[in-house]
Amino acid sequence: MAYSDKLIEHYENPRNVGTLDKGDDTVGTGLVGAPACGDVMRLQIRVNPETQIIEDAKFKTFGCGSAIASSSLATEWIKGKTVEEANALKNTQIVEELNLPPVKIHCSVLAEDAIKSAIADFREKQKKQEDKG
Amino acid sequence: MGLPARYGIDLKELEVRYRELSRVLHPDKHAHKPAGERRISLGKAVEVNEAYRILKDDLARATALLALDGHVVAEGEGAPSDPMFLMEVMELREELSEARSAKDLDRVGALGEKVTAMRRATTAQMATAFDGPEPGGAGREHAELKALVGRLRYYRRFMDEVDVIEEEALG
Repeated sequence: MAYSDKLIEHYENPRNVGTLDKGDDTVGTGLVGAPACGDVMRLQIRVNPETQIIEDAKFKTFGCGSAIASSSLATEWIKGKTVEEANALKNTQIVEELNLPPVKIHCSVLAEDAIKSAIADFREKQKKQEDKG
Repeated sequence: MGLPARYGIDLKELEVRYRELSRVLHPDKHAHKPAGERRISLGKAVEVNEAYRILKDDLARATALLALDGHVVAEGEGAPSDPMFLMEVMELREELSEARSAKDLDRVGALGEKVTAMRRATTAQMATAFDGPEPGGAGREHAELKALVGRLRYYRRFMDEVDVIEEEALG
């Protein structure tokens, strides 16, 4: 099974690799893993609390090329989107864009889970803020 | 292989059994026999090889025992691992990748030893969880066992990476 050019391109030149400050209240962190293969993925977003727009996104993935490409594409897509829009992103969109082979679909699921879990973390933090204020 | 269906097995005994069976089933010993018998012994030799490959591997052995109990751990499936564990794995992977960039082989080796120790602790836990309850596997906590198999996979991945780095360094 040959991998698509887009997949290879994201794998060789991953976008938005890095970390954001976990302690920042406008940063949401999603940490997910695939017990079936041992991959780990961390995806972080920085959200403008006023506009709810994701102003920055970073990831770090230790896993196969498809997992790296999926998370790279995911960060690229969610940047500039609202939290609401990002939360609606489906793994199937990643599968289509990267033309992932069936055995690698779980990598895109991992990326979707990472986005959702980062958003959940951000919302949790905001809620705590409101409760305090 | 004539061994009990347990997780905790004596690897030396396994090795001895494997050698014995391989010798008995070796095609040279059956060359003079009729084709039908030759085919049967060859089939058995293949089965023995496969069984040996699975049994000596702590991860494959666990997966096979779970399958015997009717629990298949499919690719991409598995309960989400607990966050503390994932965080620990993430940190270890980051340390390893830093050590790799710094070409600090001592640190790579130390991390490898650390994870090997963690892996041993997990396989010891698995032996208790698999073999502790009734003989034959009644009363096994399959959810717990699957979670432990998941952990082993993370450690395996980590050690694969350590191997790659060490091979790279050797040129």
